Amino acid sequence: MKIVAVTACPTGIAHTYMAAARLESTAKTLGHEIKVETQGALGIENKLTEKDIREAHIAIFAVDIEVEERDRFNGVKVIQVPLQEVLKNPHNVFAKIHR
Amino acid sequence: MLEFCQKIRRDLLTGVSYAIPFIACGGILIALAIAFAPMTPAGPDFAQSPRLKLVYDIGSASFALMLPVLAGYIAYAIAGKPGLVPGFLGGYFSDHIRAGFLGAILAGLLAGYVAEALKKIPVSKHLRPIMPILVIPILSGTLIGILMLTLLGRPVASLMTHADLALKSMSTGNDVLLAVVLGSMIAFDMGGPVNKTAFFFGAAMIREGNYQIMGACAAAICTPPLGMGLATMLRRRLWSTEEREAGVAGILMGLIGITEGAIPFAAADPIRVIPSIMIGSAVAAVIAMVGKVGDHAPHGGPVVLPVVDHKLVYVLAITAGTIVTAILINLLKAPAQKGTGEKKEVP
Repeated sequence: MKIVAVTACPTGIAHTYMAAARLESTAKTLGHEIKVETQGALGIENKLTEKDIREAHIAIFAVDIEVEERDRFNGVKVIQVPLQEVLKNPHNVFAKIHR
Repeated sequence: MLEFCQKIRRDLLTGVSYAIPFIACGGILIALAIAFAPMTPAGPDFAQSPRLKLVYDIGSASFALMLPVLAGYIAYAIAGKPGLVPGFLGGYFSDHIRAGFLGAILAGLLAGYVAEALKKIPVSKHLRPIMPILVIPILSGTLIGILMLTLLGRPVASLMTHADLALKSMSTGNDVLLAVVLGSMIAFDMGGPVNKTAFFFGAAMIREGNYQIMGACAAAICTPPLGMGLATMLRRRLWSTEEREAGVAGILMGLIGITEGAIPFAAADPIRVIPSIMIGSAVAAVIAMVGKVGDHAPHGGPVVLPVVDHKLVYVLAITAGTIVTAILINLLKAPAQKGTGEKKEVP
């Protein structure tokens, strides 16, 4: 399954990137294709393109702050969780896809 | 209801995430300039050092932008781009009427909801293009300006006057009680109007030749960020990674007397953090007052140590206040963490 994700935390220097790495590794073990955009203190990195979002089956927002440029995701099914959830129990987050 | 609270929390944290770099830039540049300039009873003297004055002015500008940025991006989190104009204006007015960061948070939320409501007004196709570039900015900006300058301005201003009068009539009475009140006020809004009321009272008393009120304030000023920083180090498991990072920043800001370093913690968990830092600051202020600590400079924290009378008591007051703050917040936080932690036990 193709997945896009956004991670963001208030300070944006550590948690944002830890969560991105965790999402990528968990997706790999579950056999999903994932691209994670980070919205940290340096702004948007590894930005999701229009094509990425159009082709994705689902979007995961692991965020403690509001997502930048949320309009891009109109029409995509979004699962939103607190960032901590991804670090605590990433498999739970992915399990929500099938619910 | 829970979803609504989480959304408000996300909106507030969005504003905080944009404001943090402004606090760091302003706080550190101001303290650097003050630390290297000769201290006089009227404050740091920049007459001989135009370069330090320049650094000070840059830091002050960053501080001046902080409240507009905080309010602006809270509104941005709620309403997107249309939130920026009323949000930035609301934050600017909050500074103007001395409503501090609490005023800016209120202004940001109001601005966001106003802009969001205006976005939803149905208009004909021909009018739609002028909505985002003319109608929404003008209407939302005007509305927030009126709200902040009339409705909110008067109560805040009168609150300030009352606080000022109450402080002045108390100074002849019980010193310890005064120190408790001053310390609590310094911590209550971390650099906001209540904090500034106590601070200006202390600074004004320096000119009257009374250095002890500023001494009590100076000890109280630095314990909120120092105490929160110490708390994140004492019991690391209670705190998230980003809170521990904010803790390190808090200690640095505390050392240079910037109470604002505790704001990230207070914004995220005001109910537990604000009482803890108020009690810690009150303890520091009382010890400083009883020990007759005098501060000749209108600034606080360990950075003013060279211009403080009774230096040892000053250090003791700061240490005690910091430890009390850290222990209190960790005690208050521990049971809350147990309820949501991983090791949930079935009764």
